Amino acid sequence: MEKEQYDFIGQPLEIKNIGKVTGKELYSSDINIPGQLYAVILRSPHAHAEIKKVDYSEAVKVGAVCIGPQDVPEIIYNERIVSIPEKTYRDRTVLPKEKVRHKGEALVACAAETEEKAWAALQKIKIEWGKQWKPLLTLEKALSDDAPPIYDWVYLGEEKLKVKNNIACERNIEVGDVEEGFREADIVIEKTFHTQRVYHMQFETKSAVCVPEADGGITVWTTSQGIHNVRILLGNIFNLPLSKINIKRITLGGSFGSSIQMNSITPICVALALKAKKPVKLVSSREDDFYDHAKYPLKTILKVGVKKDGTFTAAHCRVWVEIGGHNIQAYPYLGCVAGWFASLYKWKNIKYEGTAVYTNKVPTCAMQGYGNPQINFAVESMIDILAEELKMDPINLRLKNYVGKGDEFWGQGPTVRSIIRSCGVEEMLLEGAKLAQWEKRVPHYQKKEVIRKGMGVARGFHTSGTGGPNPGEVIDYSGATIKINEDGSVDVLTALMDLGGGTWDALAKIVAEVLKVPFEKIGIYNGIDTRSTVFDVNTHATRGVYCGGGAVKFVAEKVKEILLNYAATLFKDLPENLVLSCNKELGQAIIYPREIPENYKTIGEIAEYAHTTSWGTLAYTSTLRQKNCPPCFITHFVEVEVNTRTGEVKIPRVVIMGDSGTIINPNLWEGQIIGAFSRGLGFGLLEETDYHPEDGSLRCKGLVTDYKIPTTLEMPKIEDIIVRSAHTYEPTGPFGAKGIGEAALSSVGPAIANAIYNAIGIRFYELPITPEKILKSLQEKEENLRKRRGE
Amino acid sequence: MKKMEIEFILNGKKRKIEVKPNDLLINIIREDLYLTGTKYGCGLGECGVCTVLLNGEPVLSCLTLAITVDGKEITTIEGLAQGDELHPLQKAFLKNGAVQCGFCTPGMILTATALLRENPDATEDEIRNYMRGNLCRCTGYVQIIKAIKECTSIKNKGLTN
Repeated sequence: MEKEQYDFIGQPLEIKNIGKVTGKELYSSDINIPGQLYAVILRSPHAHAEIKKVDYSEAVKVGAVCIGPQDVPEIIYNERIVSIPEKTYRDRTVLPKEKVRHKGEALVACAAETEEKAWAALQKIKIEWGKQWKPLLTLEKALSDDAPPIYDWVYLGEEKLKVKNNIACERNIEVGDVEEGFREADIVIEKTFHTQRVYHMQFETKSAVCVPEADGGITVWTTSQGIHNVRILLGNIFNLPLSKINIKRITLGGSFGSSIQMNSITPICVALALKAKKPVKLVSSREDDFYDHAKYPLKTILKVGVKKDGTFTAAHCRVWVEIGGHNIQAYPYLGCVAGWFASLYKWKNIKYEGTAVYTNKVPTCAMQGYGNPQINFAVESMIDILAEELKMDPINLRLKNYVGKGDEFWGQGPTVRSIIRSCGVEEMLLEGAKLAQWEKRVPHYQKKEVIRKGMGVARGFHTSGTGGPNPGEVIDYSGATIKINEDGSVDVLTALMDLGGGTWDALAKIVAEVLKVPFEKIGIYNGIDTRSTVFDVNTHATRGVYCGGGAVKFVAEKVKEILLNYAATLFKDLPENLVLSCNKELGQAIIYPREIPENYKTIGEIAEYAHTTSWGTLAYTSTLRQKNCPPCFITHFVEVEVNTRTGEVKIPRVVIMGDSGTIINPNLWEGQIIGAFSRGLGFGLLEETDYHPEDGSLRCKGLVTDYKIPTTLEMPKIEDIIVRSAHTYEPTGPFGAKGIGEAALSSVGPAIANAIYNAIGIRFYELPITPEKILKSLQEKEENLRKRRGE
Repeated sequence: MKKMEIEFILNGKKRKIEVKPNDLLINIIREDLYLTGTKYGCGLGECGVCTVLLNGEPVLSCLTLAITVDGKEITTIEGLAQGDELHPLQKAFLKNGAVQCGFCTPGMILTATALLRENPDATEDEIRNYMRGNLCRCTGYVQIIKAIKECTSIKNKGLTN
């Protein structure tokens, strides 16, 4: 499709949300209500123990308001309600009723006039514990026959299910005949891969402020990626009509998936406020936050069959995920892992078996990719293993088998599929190879230096939203109200969250482009809540620009229609004879009869006239469901330097190719890609929340520096991060756009692992690849060589 | 605990307030003075998001006792712009896409202000090294470093006051 000329789309953007640099931007933790109480939480010292009695009477005597298991509603829910109800597993209450299932699980909460008083009150709470079990911290232990059950039963939709062997849920999918496929193969390779638990480390810890209103309702500010889902859940849990619950849309200090679900502290804050009949503010400590959420890990056994010419014949993928003490939607996670796996390459025949297992660890949830970086590590490592076996260039093996234009993409597991209509994979692999000087890459066995250089490639993608021609198991629609104000400026009211990636800027630009109103005249950043907006499912699944942007474009076009119809009455002409364009000198959108631009009226004048003549407001409200889920693609070429004496890995240079269709905001798009690279570097080399094997506590003890995230020093220099875009246009997206966010992380891990293999000839099957693991492997390799030489 | 009166200059204005000996500067700034631009990230001096300037030097307000600022000068992010005119670093952060969620941004900008005062011609390596204690999870730092680097060439334009 021929690209259109745009006034705003694709132009470099100076961020307009200046509150973020002046300190005026408000986050949940910045909200203060006169007379508010401060809340703190008592968390379980045990990983798996029966709660016999909770006695907070002494805390009440010193003036605190307390809630314990006995005070919270009986409602059993899942905090993430993106899936349809009949595919949603439910296992939790606001506070645990019978037993705690991980160390650090919230158990009792206190609110008092100051945080200091609340902490003092907390010390007075007495807990009587019943039976205690040794924590189940690994898949193997949790699945063993003699393992104590973490749950006896859970709900799937309205159905009560018995839990067997701590298996939270399973998902098996078969397409074609893998056994037949493996028989056709010349080479069959099977390997086991592990990715770790990562902590989101969003800078704003989970926070909430709740005000009980005079009519019995509540107003809530909280860390959330989807305010309407928080409202629906709170309505269900506290038995309040939704019309009495108002959730404020407020800027998030990072999230990365950890607030797709309603955060565990949100209903705790509400329960306290309802009991106290006073506003309550709850800001998690960093340690509390560490004990609240983590990225899903994954164990993968991947078996692939390939012919000598590099054609795949079959793939069998078995995955296990240990999910911790609650099931925050592991069922769609297993579906998504299947989808990412199935959509990377044309395997011909596939068999997928996924199992999610409860353990006594922090509950896991989505974190940038929802299984994509995890399964991508296995698949993209495997592609390099196969290429070496076939003596093929890894790029050529990828080009031969990738799923691209005209093929089917599973955007959200097996039930949400659509046909790929835009694809930059080939361009990205070939252009990226040139920029990275791939042809200069030498095999590892030619390298003998202390510091060995290597280069690796990996490619990935993510979906843009969760829509397919058929709705499937995932709820996905967005909406907006757009109104032209009395002076011609425009308000955009959407519940869609901006997680920091610039989604609101992108949406404002899309509206600016449709209505030809200068970007500066679009109001979008604040003043939004559930009461003033129609439903938006969530900012997840890389859907902000594609689905949210699609919805605002749809509504803006309706407003444009209303505007032109009204203007036609003023011009005494037909709407189709009028031209709407942006006059940059005037800083206004103007309308004029075709061929007579000098007879223009600004839309400010038109709106003012509509106002003073009491015609009304030029406005429209609606929702839209996108009916496709186009993949946005990414390719990483990573250079590494491995120090064989210290095991340290440095990344001096990286080439990143992205395919987002039309790019709405080039510098923010680049920011998404570079930011994801940094988190991918942490995933590949540094980060893991490991546990003390006896008591199930976090080894980092909630300390940021002991956990280790990348700093300024680990990233390549400005000139050494080369980010380029493929030349594509997504016909189903707003102005040809699709997503980027989660795609940008998906292939960083395996690109680093493949580069390390190219540097030192050692294949790592487990992330993160720490200096300790590298040194150990180098020593083992050296010993094996010595043994072989008979030394 | 008995309160004590302290006097200090906050963003150019003299302030007199009563604090307890164990009050942390971050809590006084955020809860008593309602300057919520200074953020809480870890409470243990690990992440840098609560950075403020104390007599021009970056300090972690979560580790600083409020009584120790008696007689000194504090600058928070709210005090950086001159009226409606943004500080060059604030402008450069906006222009370069160095802001995503914005939670680390106040601390980043204040640390960078101190860096440029100490070393107006800082190289990229010097910037990376100086800023290493201010963590960011969104941006991957590159656009932040770019924004700061852009300001190294702007001399004597209000950067150092």
